Amino acid sequence: MTTTAPVPAPAPATPGGKNRPGDAPAPVFSVRNLWKVFGPKAERIPGSEAAGLSAAELRERTGCTAAVRDVSFDVHPGEVFVVMGLSGSGKSTLVRCLTRLIEPTSGSLSIDGEDVLGMDRSRLRELRRRRAAMVFQHFGLLPHRTVVDNIAYGLEIQGVGRAERRRRAAEMLEKVGLAGMGRRRPAQLSGGQQQRVGLARALACDPEVLLFDEPFSALDPIVRRDMQDEVVRLHREEGRTMVFITHDLSEALRLGDRIALMRDGRIVQLGIPEEIVGSPADDYVRDFVRDVPREQVVTARTAMRPARGDEAESSGPAVSPDATVASVIEAVARTGGPARVMDGRRCLGVVDQQRLLAVVAGITPDAAPAAPAAPGTAEAA
Amino acid sequence: MHTGERPRTPARARTRTRTRVAVAAACALGTLVLSACGAAETGKQSLADSNTVNLTAPSWVGAEANTAVAAHLLEEELGYNVRTRQMGEVLAWDALSRGDVDAILEDWGHPQEEKRYVEEKKTVVSGGDLGVTGHIGWFVPKYFADEHPDVTDWRNLDKYADELRTPESGDKGQLLEGSPDYVTNDEALIKNLDLDLKPVYAGSEATQITQIRRSAENRKPFLTYWWTPQWLNAEVEMVEVELPERTEGCDADPERIDCAYPKTPLQKFLNADFAENGGRAAQFLKNFRWTEDQQNEVAQMIAGERMPAEEAAEKWVEENPQVWKKWIP
Amino acid sequence: MSTATAAPTDDSRTGTTRNAVGAGTARGPARPAAPAPLAPPPAVGRLRRALDPGTARGKLARLALAAVVPVAVAAVLWGSGTWPAALTVDATAPLDRVSDWIVDNRETHWVFLYVLLHWSNTAIDAIDGVYLLLRWLGWAGTGTAAVLLSWRAAGGGRRGLRVAVTTAAVFAACGLLGMWEPTMVTLALMAVSVAAAAVLGVLLGLAAGLSDRVHRALRPVLDTMQVLPAFAYLLPFVLVFGIGSPAALFSTVIYAAPPMARLTAMGLRGADPGVLEASASLGASRLQRLRTARLPLARAEILLGLNQTIMMALSMVVIASVIGAGGLGDEVYQALATVDVGRALAAGIPIVLLAVWLDRTTAAAGERLDDPVRADGFGPLRTWAARAAAPAAVAAAVTAALAARAAGATAWPEGWTVAIARPVNLAKDWIVANLSEGVPVVGGTLVWAGNFTEWLLNPLRDGLQAMPWWSVLLLVAALARLVGTWRTAATATAAMAAVGVLGVWGRSLNTLSQVLAGLAVTLLLGIAVGILAARVRWVERALRPVLDTLQTMPQFVYLIPVVALFNVGRAAAVAAAVVYALPAVVRITTQGLRQVDPAAMEAARSLGATGVQQLRQVQLPLARPALLLAVNQGVVLVLAVVIIGGMVGGGALGYDVVKGLSRGDLGLGLVAGTAIVCLGLVLDRVTQPAGARTKQ
Repeated sequence: MTTTAPVPAPAPATPGGKNRPGDAPAPVFSVRNLWKVFGPKAERIPGSEAAGLSAAELRERTGCTAAVRDVSFDVHPGEVFVVMGLSGSGKSTLVRCLTRLIEPTSGSLSIDGEDVLGMDRSRLRELRRRRAAMVFQHFGLLPHRTVVDNIAYGLEIQGVGRAERRRRAAEMLEKVGLAGMGRRRPAQLSGGQQQRVGLARALACDPEVLLFDEPFSALDPIVRRDMQDEVVRLHREEGRTMVFITHDLSEALRLGDRIALMRDGRIVQLGIPEEIVGSPADDYVRDFVRDVPREQVVTARTAMRPARGDEAESSGPAVSPDATVASVIEAVARTGGPARVMDGRRCLGVVDQQRLLAVVAGITPDAAPAAPAAPGTAEAA
Repeated sequence: MHTGERPRTPARARTRTRTRVAVAAACALGTLVLSACGAAETGKQSLADSNTVNLTAPSWVGAEANTAVAAHLLEEELGYNVRTRQMGEVLAWDALSRGDVDAILEDWGHPQEEKRYVEEKKTVVSGGDLGVTGHIGWFVPKYFADEHPDVTDWRNLDKYADELRTPESGDKGQLLEGSPDYVTNDEALIKNLDLDLKPVYAGSEATQITQIRRSAENRKPFLTYWWTPQWLNAEVEMVEVELPERTEGCDADPERIDCAYPKTPLQKFLNADFAENGGRAAQFLKNFRWTEDQQNEVAQMIAGERMPAEEAAEKWVEENPQVWKKWIP
Repeated sequence: MSTATAAPTDDSRTGTTRNAVGAGTARGPARPAAPAPLAPPPAVGRLRRALDPGTARGKLARLALAAVVPVAVAAVLWGSGTWPAALTVDATAPLDRVSDWIVDNRETHWVFLYVLLHWSNTAIDAIDGVYLLLRWLGWAGTGTAAVLLSWRAAGGGRRGLRVAVTTAAVFAACGLLGMWEPTMVTLALMAVSVAAAAVLGVLLGLAAGLSDRVHRALRPVLDTMQVLPAFAYLLPFVLVFGIGSPAALFSTVIYAAPPMARLTAMGLRGADPGVLEASASLGASRLQRLRTARLPLARAEILLGLNQTIMMALSMVVIASVIGAGGLGDEVYQALATVDVGRALAAGIPIVLLAVWLDRTTAAAGERLDDPVRADGFGPLRTWAARAAAPAAVAAAVTAALAARAAGATAWPEGWTVAIARPVNLAKDWIVANLSEGVPVVGGTLVWAGNFTEWLLNPLRDGLQAMPWWSVLLLVAALARLVGTWRTAATATAAMAAVGVLGVWGRSLNTLSQVLAGLAVTLLLGIAVGILAARVRWVERALRPVLDTLQTMPQFVYLIPVVALFNVGRAAAVAAAVVYALPAVVRITTQGLRQVDPAAMEAARSLGATGVQQLRQVQLPLARPALLLAVNQGVVLVLAVVIIGGMVGGGALGYDVVKGLSRGDLGLGLVAGTAIVCLGLVLDRVTQPAGARTKQ
């Protein structure tokens, strides 16, 4: 699903959910002011004056490393929430905090409104067994078990009987396209196939949320693409909520409904792909997205300017506000004139060649005195 | 750093589990101990029954001959099962006291053990003389003594120290010692008689015998701690070196001994329980008594001719019924 | 589990040591990061460079700085000769009192009546049970069972067949040598002790694998066990349990359990963290994770541990014949008493064969783990067959046993034996007669032994004993610091000092001189042979069975030939040690050279390097870690034979241990044993680069 009312995400700490109108369903994960600090007396760091130090200073002064710093966001039902960042940015720690594979240092965290940090061991096990399943970068398959038994592993832990879990594992095997390979051992599979097994294992538990920790980083580019398609397909078919960790921007843009960009443990920007690319929150993000083919991410809604004069009624091609700039270029190139961005019968604005070129070039068109660069920002503000 | 992190359980939970594991372990251990709810029966022996007699098989052959003949007769004539076990002399005393072993047939004198087990604990009783008299001394090979007749007097030993020298003894003459089991006063003797000798410990009887044989084959001079009766004496002729005569109390203080070893009538010792309740077997072992020559005959078969001890015993028993008939109760 | 927290702790620890040692004088270099406000004067700079802990010279300089005051004080207080009497503690008297107490109370005290005696009786019952079973099965049943079970353990198929044939050959040979009965006694003892050692080892390994605290506590113990000579601790067991199978069993278990514990812990700790995390993420409880992930992942290590445990148990079962273990070891021991090498060898060969059998079988079982799964759909028939194999083997064994019983042949048929004792003795006599003396040019072994003693052993021993005691400590500290950390140096120095405190300084240095000389010979021979074997395939192939035999043959068998060839004395002890340690050194060297990066070799060849150049410039430098390992292993193994050396005239500590054991003198034996362990720790630390240990 696409965010219809995009947010500017002005500050990284802004809770992601606040932009939602009141009628939105309750978030699956709700994370507030989450900290994870490694090192001696880690619990003293959040809230102290050391909290504001840079990573290097913090390490020097306290011997601690803050992997996750004061992070807040919501994950909504049915969305693909991508957390992106370079290695060392804390994203993998963050996703592990969600099911307390790594114990957070402070903050609050709830799933479907239930406090995760307050859960006792059995409740937490229940959470891991049935509500959130994880897919790992290095697959984490049991080498001594066959593929089927690996897929059935989660069910075995839940205490499902052998016949039943074999049956369900076989189903999942089919679903991820590995039919007929059930009796092999993981070592006999290619990397992509192994990750399908990992995926099937997570799916077999029928969890409410799927957590992916850089699942395709270890795979070849072509296989990676297949796997991404697989995830897109699964998401389309089942509409399961997913939290997806990656360091690959194109993957994030391909899969993410919303993207949280992390740096040094903080979320520096959170928003829909277009916002990240179109209006980077700071230089770091800008640097990050510089090489992205912007025309494939930025939509007409972002690229357009208000219609001047009779442009709204002109004969230029009509495009939908959600159309990517790439497709608008095609339309403009064919007709020669500026394209009108039409929401039904209403003309929202116009995209002319200058605007299109500005998007491709990555510069802000008609800079200073003119209309606000990104209409989305104006609306939200 | 995040990828390197392992899943963590909260510290408190971890401590709790650890405590739980510890408690479980303690319980298991407790059960184990409790299952041993009564006092264990003492002196339990492997595959033992009342019809089994346990004898030591000491490392030297003379004693092996005693054991072989006794075992043969106990099995064939009296219908017992005999188990023989090899062990050091002092350990044998210990085993005798515990009842792991029923009898020692040849003891060369262990005053300390005798005092502890016979007099104090009363777990061991004397079984009388074996009939053989043992004697320990310093010996040189006959070919060496023939060449230098005066070597058999201890006063002249220093004269030959150079010939007795080996790389091992450095600049002194070598006095070859045997197994650490053996009763020896040699260090004190060398010191108190002020001899230019150095004891070199072969470490076991086998290596001592090997060394003596090798030297004899090459007709090299040597001086060794040795004893009679010993089967090797039949193979390598040796002459005793005369040490200062024994006087009253000359060996009272182990540090100041300066006289020859005594002649020891070898003794038998029995486990006290066995001596009382051992029936015919115990009586037979008390009666067992033979001469040096008879013992040597069997020992020579075992060690000299490499005959298995059982066969040697069988052969001797066949040939000498007049000797053993009177042992049978 | 505490990778993140452990690192800072380590840092802080070394940091404090550095500061403590370098206080006042060398603070600067210890914290190179500290900004220097002014350029230091050149002298200070030079001092800093000289004290730089990164270089060998720096390490030594810092050590010298740290030691100068204590050494001066010690030298003034206690003189510079041998270990000062003022610094010794008499451990003998209290140990003798302990010994007396045990002897006086073992029939009455509750510890014995309610605990130890139960253990002892249980041990006897277990061993007797196995033995009676084997005896009931007879040679036919036992042989069948062994063959089928080995076949099954190897996973059937061609590999299973190979193992089964080996097994059959081994058992047949044991029977043919007339050793069936003792072999069964040994097997019974082995079965019980390996089972107990494996259980104990796995339990300890589990504890150490799952808990950091236990791991930390257990590691030094296991390290010490590794250098602990078996002979050294037989005596306490004898005092408590008496001569017989319980004492043999318990000492064997203690000797054999450490590798199992070590490898189990290693396997559990080394388990792929990704898999464990995946398991946790699916909500597995600790127990589930252990059962479904950790233990299966550690299977290969556990099996290797079992293999090592079996080998250790086998060697100990032989040594334990001294305290009444019976069986093959006892046959060797008794043959020794009559100086009968042939008979000793006839009993020694079955031991080697048993080792071969057990080694091959466990190795094959290990290989099975790596097998790819049989292709898709191994049908119900095969599943059924796999499941039924064990019961079928039992049934077959019972059938064979019954058949043999019906035929009245449970004992090995008497006619089916080959007497090898006489020819072996003849061969030995011939060898001794021809090698010991009068060989043209080279002189013969007796001449070598004499020269070796006079020109190497004597100067080395006298030199060591003449050194001031504090300089020996300093030397140990310097060597240990060079190869390791301050901690290594402290451990090694403390261990060396302990030897002095125990009052056996002179004897220990005597032993040390023998070990060093033995090590030198072992390394010279071992590395030369290893290089040869690494370069010439057929040499390696021909050597392997010889080396395997040398290593598994009970050491008692060597005693007589060694004395015959080298005369009673330290040279003979060194020879025995070399024989024992050589196989490991050769093997490690060969492997190390073989594993040198082929790309480096190719590069050397492409540059036109000759064979010698390749060896000197590429292979040896690149195989350096392996060679260092060879040194370390060599030291530990040579030391292990020191006690055996006591039985061939080596004197010193080895003789004390043997004497203590045979006389039941706990004070003497245990003090000497402890001193040997301390020497072992010193030698181990001094030869073990720090890196090698941290990897573990």
